[in-house]
Amino acid sequence: MVLKNYFLIILPIFFIIISSFDSNSVEPGEIIKDKGLESRARKISKNIRCMVCQNQSIDESNAELAKDLRILIRKKILENHNDKEIYKFLTDRFGDFILLKPAFKLNTLLLWLLPFLFLIFGFAFLIYQNKKSKNNF
Amino acid sequence: MQKKILLIPLIIFLLIALIFFYLLIIERNPNSIPSAILNKNVPIFSAETLIRKEKFNSSVEFGSELVLVNFFATWCKPCTDEHQHIIRFKEEKNIKIVGINYKDKPEKTIKWLKKLGNPYSVIPIDKKGNISIDWGVYGLPETFVVSSQGVIKFRHVGPVTDKIYKKISLIIDSEKNGS
Repeated sequence: MVLKNYFLIILPIFFIIISSFDSNSVEPGEIIKDKGLESRARKISKNIRCMVCQNQSIDESNAELAKDLRILIRKKILENHNDKEIYKFLTDRFGDFILLKPAFKLNTLLLWLLPFLFLIFGFAFLIYQNKKSKNNF
Repeated sequence: MQKKILLIPLIIFLLIALIFFYLLIIERNPNSIPSAILNKNVPIFSAETLIRKEKFNSSVEFGSELVLVNFFATWCKPCTDEHQHIIRFKEEKNIKIVGINYKDKPEKTIKWLKKLGNPYSVIPIDKKGNISIDWGVYGLPETFVVSSQGVIKFRHVGPVTDKIYKKISLIIDSEKNGS
């Protein structure tokens, strides 16, 4: 009985620890030896969408194309390309859709600003209603 | 005045419902992704070719006539399914077809083509998938129409079906008449 109780405590803790590990699909052969460069590659990979699975980044995906792109990004880093150039290379071919976090550009302006506009509109509406109800009483 | 303000949420709701309804009835594939390479020049690449084992050079092969580019692999089932339509393009439209063979075993591809027929004028081998990345290919099969100026005019992701065959045929016809 006591053992069972222990299990009930330990098991969830075990799973919480396991799930908090940084899960990624980077294979040992892909990793760059230089830690700084590797972390740059990881950072870019986390913002690149796997076009096959679409809701995973290439850092997490096991898809063939994701692996090819991970290798390509590392190759470009080793060839001294900067992050901007690497992002441009990828968006030139796959479009902005490949970025998990869309760029702040003219055609994404609404996407970024609409939530704030709604917030302002909502507050304005609330203030207006509040004033009105005060006047009524 | 109070009543008018209460109408605003209703109007917004109707507007959104109308937009959703419009998106529902128009013919579109919600999974399709806008292509970044449409209306751009074909990527520059070179590769070894299957069968003749010559060097394929994109700047030589594109830009003089209308070309259909088909990315395929023998291990991809939809590629086998669409192959009859690729053959139809060759027979009915008499168009030059470049078949880019993605990560495949050459002996297997040759066998596959012997069995199903070979509509391709030339078959560059994409051994490591680099050519596909340059074309923004993410799901086999994919088919492109390249104008005689070497500009990518149309892209289809997925197998060519009867319906897509007709669609691409119209594009080929209009490109032929236009140039």
